[in-house]
Amino acid sequence: MDFEKFNKFGSLLLKDEFVLSYSGYASEDILHSMGETLRQRLADHTDDKGKIKHVFSVFVELMQNLIRYGAEGPHPTPKTGSRQAFGLIMVIQNGSSIEVMSGNYVLKDEANDLVNRVNELNDKSADQLRALYREKLRQPPHEGSKGASIGLVEVARRASAPLSCTVEDTNQGYSFFMIKARI
Amino acid sequence: MTNLNIVATSRTPKITFKTKAGTLLIEGESYPEDVTGFYDPVFAAVNDYLKSPDAKLDVDIKLIYFNSSSARALMELLDMMDDAGAKGAKVSIRWYCDGDDDITREFAEDISANIEHISIDIFELTRDD
Repeated sequence: MDFEKFNKFGSLLLKDEFVLSYSGYASEDILHSMGETLRQRLADHTDDKGKIKHVFSVFVELMQNLIRYGAEGPHPTPKTGSRQAFGLIMVIQNGSSIEVMSGNYVLKDEANDLVNRVNELNDKSADQLRALYREKLRQPPHEGSKGASIGLVEVARRASAPLSCTVEDTNQGYSFFMIKARI
Repeated sequence: MTNLNIVATSRTPKITFKTKAGTLLIEGESYPEDVTGFYDPVFAAVNDYLKSPDAKLDVDIKLIYFNSSSARALMELLDMMDDAGAKGAKVSIRWYCDGDDDITREFAEDISANIEHISIDIFELTRDD
């Protein structure tokens, strides 16, 4: 990569007031160190502890979704064996609200299903989301393949606006799924 | 009977389980890398202790943040205590929730929604900072 491209990438991010971003192979270790940095940065920016908790929680759930369900995408690790999800996660200050965005590769067939799940969550009231959360608590982690994961329900509950998401097709059988929560 | 003395980390809570005194404390942060690996020994020790029908247990939960996988683990732990309560064990839970965040309190209420045979009270957690 030449410096021009490298700098362009950096300048795009630095235009925002507050940003935390990671792009690459995701792991629990990365989640942990980013999460601690995020908490510290948020505490420096606001005294609203409830808001810090919402942002932190949305970050943790989206990042764990990415780690657990994201695909390696079009650039798989050369060595066979462990699958490591490739993704992009960003926390951006946007006026008085904070946005958490994440993107990861999913198989093309799964992409529309994911979008539908997010839209279903957006159609629900706070009480309906709470009831759904209770229901998900009693489902074993990987069995609730129909409908959103409990993590996504938590994201919807903590966000202060409907979630938005979109899908970008790639030509290698994968789609890039992107989701945004505003707090 | 197994006593537990698990030291807190920045992503896992302190767990103190004293079988002689009949007390269990869960305190701190909970978003472990491996939720099952973390909570299984707690579940096993408490389950073993509560098998005695005259068992008495006082539980204090003081969690600042817990993720959705931890919520599920906590629910399983509480359900197990409730089953023991149905068989005669006396369990009393005090759950202290972070007052800065209503949703955490709702989570605590939802996790304990099916408790019938033991006592559970939800309070506001006061922090030093």
